[in-house]
Amino acid sequence: MSLSDREWDDLKSILDKTVQKFLGFSEPSLVTAALNCINKGYDKRKTSEKLLSILDDKQAPKFADKLFNVYDEYKASSKSHRSKKRKEDKEDKDEGKKKRRFDEAVEIPGPGKPSPGQLTADKIKEMMATAQKMIQERKAQIQAAMPKLPTVSQISQNPQVHMNDAMDKAQRAAELQAQIQARMAGLSGNLQLMKPGIPGSIAQKIGQSMPTPLILDDEGHMIDKATGQAVQLQHHTPTLKANIRAKRRAEFKGLIEKPPEEITEGTFYDPRVSIRPANRQKRGFRFHDKGKFELLAQRLRTKAQLDRLQNEIAQAAKKTGIASATKLATITPKKELKEGEVPDIEWWDAFICNTDSYEAIGIGSDLRERLEGITHLVEHPAQMRPLAEPTKQVAIPVYLTKKERKKLRRQNRGEAQKEVQEKIRLGLMPPPDPKVRMANLMRVLGTEAVQDPTKVEAHVRAQMAKRQKAHEEANAARKLTTEQRKEKKARKIKEDTSLGVHVSVYRVRDLTNPAKKFKIESNCNQLYMSGLVVLFKDCNVVVVEGGPKQQRKFRRLMLHRIKWSEEKQKQTKDDGKESYCKG
Amino acid sequence: MDIEGSDDEGESVYVKKQKIVHYGSLEEKERQRLATGISLSSVSNDVVKAGIEAGNINISSGDTMEMEEDKESQAEALAIFERRKRARQIQVSTDDTEVKAHLRLLGEAICLFGEGPAERRERLRQLLATLGTDIIQPKKQEEPVEIKPKDEDNITWYHEGSENLKKARYWIAEYSIPRAKERIGKQKEQKHVLTVTRLQDMHKRLRSVSNEYSQIGDNRPLSHCEFSPNSKMLAVASWSGLCKLWSVPDCQLIRTLRGHNCNVGAIVFHPQATVSLDDNACCMASCGHDGAVKLWNLVSDEPIADIEGHAPYRVAHLNYHPSGRFLGTCCFDHSWRLWDLEAQEEILHQEGHSKPVYDISFQNDGALAVTGGLDGFGRLWDLRSGRCIMFLEGHLKAVLSITFAPDGFHVASGSEDNTAKIWDVRQRKCVYTIPAHTNLISKVHFQPEHGNYLITSSYDGTSKIWANSTWASLKTLAGHEGKVMNVDVSPDLKFIASVSFDRTFKLWASELKGGL
Repeated sequence: MSLSDREWDDLKSILDKTVQKFLGFSEPSLVTAALNCINKGYDKRKTSEKLLSILDDKQAPKFADKLFNVYDEYKASSKSHRSKKRKEDKEDKDEGKKKRRFDEAVEIPGPGKPSPGQLTADKIKEMMATAQKMIQERKAQIQAAMPKLPTVSQISQNPQVHMNDAMDKAQRAAELQAQIQARMAGLSGNLQLMKPGIPGSIAQKIGQSMPTPLILDDEGHMIDKATGQAVQLQHHTPTLKANIRAKRRAEFKGLIEKPPEEITEGTFYDPRVSIRPANRQKRGFRFHDKGKFELLAQRLRTKAQLDRLQNEIAQAAKKTGIASATKLATITPKKELKEGEVPDIEWWDAFICNTDSYEAIGIGSDLRERLEGITHLVEHPAQMRPLAEPTKQVAIPVYLTKKERKKLRRQNRGEAQKEVQEKIRLGLMPPPDPKVRMANLMRVLGTEAVQDPTKVEAHVRAQMAKRQKAHEEANAARKLTTEQRKEKKARKIKEDTSLGVHVSVYRVRDLTNPAKKFKIESNCNQLYMSGLVVLFKDCNVVVVEGGPKQQRKFRRLMLHRIKWSEEKQKQTKDDGKESYCKG
Repeated sequence: MDIEGSDDEGESVYVKKQKIVHYGSLEEKERQRLATGISLSSVSNDVVKAGIEAGNINISSGDTMEMEEDKESQAEALAIFERRKRARQIQVSTDDTEVKAHLRLLGEAICLFGEGPAERRERLRQLLATLGTDIIQPKKQEEPVEIKPKDEDNITWYHEGSENLKKARYWIAEYSIPRAKERIGKQKEQKHVLTVTRLQDMHKRLRSVSNEYSQIGDNRPLSHCEFSPNSKMLAVASWSGLCKLWSVPDCQLIRTLRGHNCNVGAIVFHPQATVSLDDNACCMASCGHDGAVKLWNLVSDEPIADIEGHAPYRVAHLNYHPSGRFLGTCCFDHSWRLWDLEAQEEILHQEGHSKPVYDISFQNDGALAVTGGLDGFGRLWDLRSGRCIMFLEGHLKAVLSITFAPDGFHVASGSEDNTAKIWDVRQRKCVYTIPAHTNLISKVHFQPEHGNYLITSSYDGTSKIWANSTWASLKTLAGHEGKVMNVDVSPDLKFIASVSFDRTFKLWASELKGGL
């Protein structure tokens, strides 16, 4: 028994599946071998024998059984199919159409389309059968891709359900086909218009890879490019209750959230109602009057001045201890005097006597009558804190005497030593190596020293070097780093001048020597002092400011360290004159 | 087994020793010895076994037993060491009451029987070493407290004085205004009296001032000197508590005034003493560091009266009112007082400085008084209205000396910041600052009557003369070996007297004729 090409193909696909199911993986060689066996018309035993070359002796008979089962099934199905096919062919001939096998599915009448011609019951049955077969084929194909899906046999058990399914799928396939064709037609048309040189196949390919152009009609419906018909896009309607509810809620929300203006503008716009257009008033220039801002500024200035004055008066009043500025005005001089001018009356007397001149004042009872403002009140003016006094109390550090320091050190070291000794005694600490020097070498390492003096000496020397090293390292560890040392130095030199600075002034007769100038400047910098130098022919002034210690050092520089008279021995005389003041 | 054998051998050796000389072969003996030895060894084996069985002999199986390191006890020992170390580092107060307080805080007995402060302290230390020092809060460090002015100090307030105060004020007003009138009149007339040539002459005379007389005044530093109004006497106060009257110019001791028990700060003459005042009346006043103020006449060497009310505060300086009726004293309780010598009572206790008041000076008219305090400020007081009418602000450190110029409206102040300042009361400002000395200024003094120059004395050992209005240095009076404590000019303008820490006083005079 030999298989036709088609049968061979069909069987191959079925067997593929069977093999996969049997072995758990696809094995083309087994499939081919099985097909060959069937092709040659072997029986079960022969087949199993043949298959032994690929499968082992247990599996081979089993597979042969399966193979023949499948083959039998196939044969049964293919018989009916062939008979149907023949009928179909007849019909096809009737309609005068010749179609490829694949197109059959396309031509299955969908629910939206009216079926061509009258449909007899036979016809319907036939169609159903064809559809069923098609489905089976498709299923087989799908299953080849996805082996986990239920097998054909399982599907065939409930054909009614699957038929509906198939109908659905066929419809969808038809739609898809139509869409693709339409798109391709449109695209190829377009492309051919633009680029006539491009072959159709390429254009098709391009068209397939490109997204569909969206074409809308005047009502906003999407239309097909080629046909101009409205395209019904698929709407996903939720089926779950929860989803439905959610959708409804979203819609409701959207309704609420819509701003009311939109409604008025859009749907509720009534053109009959006339609204006056919001036209702008024409505005002319409005210039400020000349000098307006000057006046304003002047006013501000005078106000500020007045404030300042009042503030000053208040300050003065506060310091002198007079409660209010008005009272102060009564005791301040009424007019400012120039220097050297003698007033008619001293202002403090004017306040008492209430006159403008002493001439008006008589003696005795006349004077007494004139006096005013003399009371028995004792004033307690506001007290002022001294300027140079620090606001915080300065803590005086406590220093121990040298004796006390020594005692403390001795005690501390003694305690530490005692502790170490005790630890050694209790075995909590290994005892230190005996301290060997060159001097006590013989005593400490008596016999060893006699036996190998060179070695012992080397040992002793190593120990000495180690001790020395440890000592030096300890010293180095205690040492300040460069920055720390610098900082310490600067700290020691710098002094707090926030509450009063010492200023000294030196007069130098001759300061032409650049070396001396440099000395002054660099010393000033090193001492962190500030100041200035005024150079003139024979009178040079050096002014420096800093703390008392800095001043002392600088004074020593100016008066002792710099030898002013060293060049012109007799002509120039050191005339360092200084005076201290604070401020 | 070995033990037994050796014992046996020892016995045989002993035998051998007896036989000193051995003759013949040892073979026999050896064989014998070996035979017995075997037998003996077998016997001893049995004995040993029996001993082992009985438990009298213990032979270990040869395995060593490790000495178990007692970790726990070691850790304990280390902890003890640690504690002891900590105890050594803990600072325990040496104050017994504080130690007791701490013990009580810890809930321990504050005193055990027979326990002294040292043991108690040690006990506390041990306790703290085990419990940790955190339990006892370290005694609160006296944090640098910001010195804030009290609200009370920021406002001006008044209190009612006595009726006598009012009377005295009226008296002063009636006294001062005619004097002021007279002074103003003179100033208007004498506006251009002192011509340039006369000024130059005076400067020349001043430049030729030299030390005329020098005398050891006491065996303690001298603090103050003042010429008598008739210029015949010089009163010198000393830290020994004695005040001495010296004749001028021959520097003979006239009288020693005994009465102070400690340092005398100042001694001043009554403005009319030796001129129009009776010698028996109260002619001098002196003040001491213990707050005693004493009044003296020119006859006895004992004080005729004491003014009480300052103690225990030091009275730094005092001064007579030009009328001689009132005495102003500066007290270290931040106040200055005005005493009515006629009524013999304190009529005014004036506050205002935030630190001790150090010097006081009265205006020639008697209308004003100026005080300088250690707070670095000067205050000008109107004695009639009782008000502070001017605040002299400018010195950075304490004002140690302050004086009115004879013209009645200039004030000079000398300060610890080495400067002297000249203030104009009419213009209400500081008109000049003299960086006068290299040490603090102990006294500023104007030329009497005319005020043409200013003398300053300083702790740098010199006194300096400064020309009025230009404030240029005219002469430096150097000669004292120590700090110059005070300086004065005789009213007849013949001498300048200065007293010093070196216990001498010196009289300076110009070599040219015409007075200073």
